[in-house]
Amino acid sequence: MFEARLTNGSILKKLLEALKDLVTDANIDCSEEGLSIQAMDSSHVSLCAVALRSDGFDHFRCDRNISLGFNSQNLGKILKCADNTDMITLKAEDSADNLTLMFESKNQDRISDFELKLMDIDADHLGIPDTEYKTTIRMPSNEFKRIITDLQVLGDTCTIAVTKEGVRFSVTGDLGTGNVLVRSTNGVDKEEEEAVVIDMEEPVELTFALRYLNFFTKATNLGPSVVISMSPDVPVVVEYPIEQIGHIKYYLAPKIDDAEE
Amino acid sequence: MSKRSTTTTTTIGTGKRIRGGGDDEYEPTVDDEVMDDEVDYDEAAMEANMAAMAENGEASVDSTVKQRWGRPDVKPFDPNKEDINVQWLDMDMVSGPPLTANPKKGATVLGSSVGPVPVIRVFGCSDKGHSASIFIHGFTPYALFAAPKEFENTSSNLERLREYIDERLRNQVRDARNYKVFCHGVKFLDDRKSVMGYSTTHTQFFQVYCSMPSMVPPLKRIFSEGVKLPGMVETVSCQPFESNVPFVLRFMIDQEISGAGWLSLPAGAYSVRKESEKKTHCQLELDISYKEIISRESVGEWSKIAPLRVLSFDIECQGRKGYFPEAEKDPVIQIANCVSVYGTPDPVVKNVFTLKGCLPIVGTQVITSETEQELLLKWQQFLQAADVDIITGYNVQNFDIPYLLDRAEALSKVRPGPNMSPFKLWGRIKGSPAKMKDTTFQSAAFGKRNNVETTIEGRVVFDMLPYMQRNHKLSSYTLNSVCAEFLGQQKEDVHHSIISDLQNGNDEDRHRLAVYCVKDALLPQRLMDKLSVLINYVEMARVTGVPVSFLISRGQQIKVFSMILRKCRNEKLCVPDLPKGRNADGVAYEGATVLDPIKKYYEVPIATLDFASLYPSIMQAYNLCYTTLASPQDLANLSPEDYNKNPNGTFVKASKKKGILPTILSELLSARKQAKKDMKNAPNEFEKAVQNGRQLALKVSANSVYGFTGAAVGQLPCMAIASTVTNYGRQLLEKTKACVEETYTKANGYEFDSQVVYGDTDSVMVKFGNPMGPRVFELSEEAAEKCSKLFPHPILLEFEKVYYPYLLMNKKRYAGLLWTNVEKFDYMDCKGLETVRRDNCQLVRDVIQTSLNKILIDRDTKSAISYVKKQISDLLQNKMDISRLVITKSLNKGAEWALGLGGKAEDYKIKQAHVELAARMKKRDAGSAPQMGDRVPYVIIQGPKGAQTYTKAEDPIYVLDNNVPIDCQWYLSNQLTKPLTRIFEPVVNDVEKDLLKGDHTRKIFIATPTARKGSLMSFAVKKATCMGCKALIPKDSGNLCEHCVCKENEIYLDKLKNLRVAEEEYSQLWSAAQRIHGQMFQDVMCTGDGCACQFYRRKKVQQDIKRCQTALDMFAQ
Repeated sequence: MFEARLTNGSILKKLLEALKDLVTDANIDCSEEGLSIQAMDSSHVSLCAVALRSDGFDHFRCDRNISLGFNSQNLGKILKCADNTDMITLKAEDSADNLTLMFESKNQDRISDFELKLMDIDADHLGIPDTEYKTTIRMPSNEFKRIITDLQVLGDTCTIAVTKEGVRFSVTGDLGTGNVLVRSTNGVDKEEEEAVVIDMEEPVELTFALRYLNFFTKATNLGPSVVISMSPDVPVVVEYPIEQIGHIKYYLAPKIDDAEE
Repeated sequence: MSKRSTTTTTTIGTGKRIRGGGDDEYEPTVDDEVMDDEVDYDEAAMEANMAAMAENGEASVDSTVKQRWGRPDVKPFDPNKEDINVQWLDMDMVSGPPLTANPKKGATVLGSSVGPVPVIRVFGCSDKGHSASIFIHGFTPYALFAAPKEFENTSSNLERLREYIDERLRNQVRDARNYKVFCHGVKFLDDRKSVMGYSTTHTQFFQVYCSMPSMVPPLKRIFSEGVKLPGMVETVSCQPFESNVPFVLRFMIDQEISGAGWLSLPAGAYSVRKESEKKTHCQLELDISYKEIISRESVGEWSKIAPLRVLSFDIECQGRKGYFPEAEKDPVIQIANCVSVYGTPDPVVKNVFTLKGCLPIVGTQVITSETEQELLLKWQQFLQAADVDIITGYNVQNFDIPYLLDRAEALSKVRPGPNMSPFKLWGRIKGSPAKMKDTTFQSAAFGKRNNVETTIEGRVVFDMLPYMQRNHKLSSYTLNSVCAEFLGQQKEDVHHSIISDLQNGNDEDRHRLAVYCVKDALLPQRLMDKLSVLINYVEMARVTGVPVSFLISRGQQIKVFSMILRKCRNEKLCVPDLPKGRNADGVAYEGATVLDPIKKYYEVPIATLDFASLYPSIMQAYNLCYTTLASPQDLANLSPEDYNKNPNGTFVKASKKKGILPTILSELLSARKQAKKDMKNAPNEFEKAVQNGRQLALKVSANSVYGFTGAAVGQLPCMAIASTVTNYGRQLLEKTKACVEETYTKANGYEFDSQVVYGDTDSVMVKFGNPMGPRVFELSEEAAEKCSKLFPHPILLEFEKVYYPYLLMNKKRYAGLLWTNVEKFDYMDCKGLETVRRDNCQLVRDVIQTSLNKILIDRDTKSAISYVKKQISDLLQNKMDISRLVITKSLNKGAEWALGLGGKAEDYKIKQAHVELAARMKKRDAGSAPQMGDRVPYVIIQGPKGAQTYTKAEDPIYVLDNNVPIDCQWYLSNQLTKPLTRIFEPVVNDVEKDLLKGDHTRKIFIATPTARKGSLMSFAVKKATCMGCKALIPKDSGNLCEHCVCKENEIYLDKLKNLRVAEEEYSQLWSAAQRIHGQMFQDVMCTGDGCACQFYRRKKVQQDIKRCQTALDMFAQ
């Protein structure tokens, strides 16, 4: 038996928004620790990992580890029926092929439940091992989204360079070039949410496909800030912490200059 | 046009080779410099060539061996007592001096007595199997021009005109100093008429003779610009007639010589050249005056075919890894040959020339050489010794032949080394090398193709690849798949990169390669036999009266043109040479009509009534012709009973004047009847094949007459005829529909009301309503007869078949079981469905075919639905074998641009998947990437959201090697959905719900691609999951979660079963592959996608086994 209730149901709605462009079908892995989703996007270029800790739920019960396969489009259709203020409960039997979703409105005057037919997805379970990163940038998620949206006008690839000066996002395309420099707000008096914090061991410069970075910014609504971690020649991690419950992380491999097809 | 040498040393046989003499259908540049594109060879060079050949002792082949390769010896005979009969294949023209004496004693020399004059050279094979070249002398080129009514026909006027024309030609002809006389005479003709129109203004003509065919275009120009006629004040421009007829064809028409027919040289009328005087390698070399030669009509005894010798060959080259072989760098390592003689079932010579040692091959002579030069020179000697009439092979025209010639050129630069110049002497003319020319062939029917045209004098190059492309619609044209289709034989499709390894191995490896090579040489020849290609071409040449070479290198029009010219000559009519493109602005006319289909699944029999040869019979019935087209003025002079009025043109009835096109057609069709009769009575298989080829040729020719009149940029377009034909076609179809629906009603005492459910061009589908049984056949026969009576002779409505059941989906899209008798259906007939269309993957074809079988034959809709569901779920679970998902498309016009090979950007506006893929593959590995004209196989892989399909195409082999996930959903929604909806719509209520969505789509498999450098996969690690329930489990805790451990046995057995199934499948595929390629002890190297040995599938199953094995190994940990 698996059962999980989340007062702030909009988190689930936002999570799905953040996933559905990258992932069409994926498994929700449920265990005592919580829920996790790990999936590569369909072109196998990026990977996203969602973790929701069990203690973040109002009620969480998971008798045994199970895996629930869903189609993000179909799950999205059902979650659309929930209001942002609704409380959402997920329920599944140990060997069921249905997932029950229950939406309760804030003042309990409306309770709706839906059943989603589950998919049987046969796929390898992939993850990126945790490593130490040379640099970590914490910045407002809206700011990050804006930079990516702006740069996409100019080109397909974006170089992120971290130096003492700050973080430089640059793009070169047919139209011309663009650079956005974001300075660290260390020492400046700012609200924590609006701060830009750069933690740098050594300068790093990596290049990425903007198309995917743009997909990542779909998670902007999940939290006020975003954490970008980079080291030379390893995938970047773009993490959106979700308040009090967990995070969604995106991994993207850097482009190699003379990449073989 | 090249003009490399200006010295013209012309003697008989070694002069300029000139083909044709007038406009060429596909080469608009001809008019001016027509025939000067050939290089002249001076004798010194040729002598040197011959001397070099004699010197070349080191590479020469034993003379006894040569004898075995050669033709039977010529026994001595008396030219004054014996006739010689030759079936000719190739005819061309050279310039040379006139004869000094006619070979026939006492006869005068015909034609001009001042040189140079055109000499017609004919190559062929005598009935005794000897090669022969006949030099025909004395035929003078000419053209006709309309003479104005005012011209006074006196001999002095004509002589003055001749002098005038002679003078003007002198100034127009480029190599004027070679000639003394230009115009040899002007004849006045008043017994001829123009073919155009019922009454014509052109009734008198000048027949102007000139020295050379190359003078005809200037002549035409002079007359159209305006000439000053003696006795007349103003300069007049004269309409040219028949000046666009190639010279060779002109000669054939005037002497009534048909293509590939028999020519007899009567005893005493010819002379035989002595060995020392010979200019060719032919066994017989003959001179004759053109009037003496007798052309045999191809009937009775003369419908036979000479023992023609056919060489089929194939070369292997040692390419470098990753590159397509290039003649400059990569050596030729083997040449396999197979010579067969028409009428002898087995090849007479089978041999292979190899570089370095090679073990003996049963039934094949192996000739080894130490150096490549030696190999090539030996092969050239073989070619001359074998003295074949026809050279064939698979893609020899564009690959093997140019490669050999280019390679010899490259080798001749290697010093020190033997002289390679004799290698190029492939033709029958001594000292004259084979010449290559790049050509572009464009035709509405076959699209644009870049070709290399190689001229090998006296031998016809007939490549099987273009033949197959022209005549058969196939999804793949590799030799392998073509042979699988027609011969039921396979050959191993060895990727050219493996060849190099085999060549560098030992004698046995080379033996293996040689075996393939020999097979590759044998197959085209077998294919040729099996499809009766030779016979069909010979018969086509005979029926239409053009040389065989025209059939290969030119389009459809010349055939009809030749027939019209021949007919006109008998009827004393002349064909005008109209300026090109007169109708180029495209006077589009209404085409064939289609009666609107009533889309439904019919479970009652539907009878099909067909018009037999609709268009030809319309042309006959309504006497449609150039000569019967009446102008408004004509109508005033005719009574209304004498003509048939039609909105597109009015034509005089046959009772008044019979047109030539109807005459040609009725002759063709009655000849076809005769041929069919002869075919039935044929005493042996060869005779039968000849008659079958004949009746096919007759049918095709009859059908192409209509197209000839409608071709806007043609030799003699006449839209009035073409549009009237289609107009009558529509009328007939509608009349039939009305007649059937009015007659067969309950009101008239029939059991049911009939209904015409569909009709297209020349057929109507009728639902009588009766259940299946003899009654339907009776009614249909009756209806066909009744309707035929309404139409003028020879239009005939025939009843041939009944469809039952019949699934009518749309215009030109239907399927049904075809019955020609009441007892049993013949086969399932599908039109316009994905089963036959090539731009779909095998999966679609299979699913549609099987569904139709289940619906139509088994009448079991339920099992059809469950079958489709199973296929869809297999697809989503990646159980589908990749070869069934491969789509192939060819790189056509426009692709050059994308591949960076020139071309224009505007030809490539919409990005196409296969073209983009080819461009990407080219970047990856230029060697194995597809070339222009190739068919590119691809599969659609998963890509990021919103990615265009063209970015998602990938090479199937690459996909297999890297385990790239396939976009199964795309196949479901873009490939299967539409055709499935079409066929299931009339049968199932809700296709979408019942078929395409549901539980069977809910089990999927997501492949994990192989990690590549830099990709995210190289950083990712697999996490342990439970094999039973896929739940995450801690690392190093086995393969099952605590809840599934109790089911371990069950799960293990399940995984074991998977492995067993995969292994079983693999061993079956493997033994099938071994059987197909006939080898038990060697690795199957075939990688062809069209091959029945299912390379992709084997590779896929291999990977499945690997996966299952890994899963099983987990239990051991």
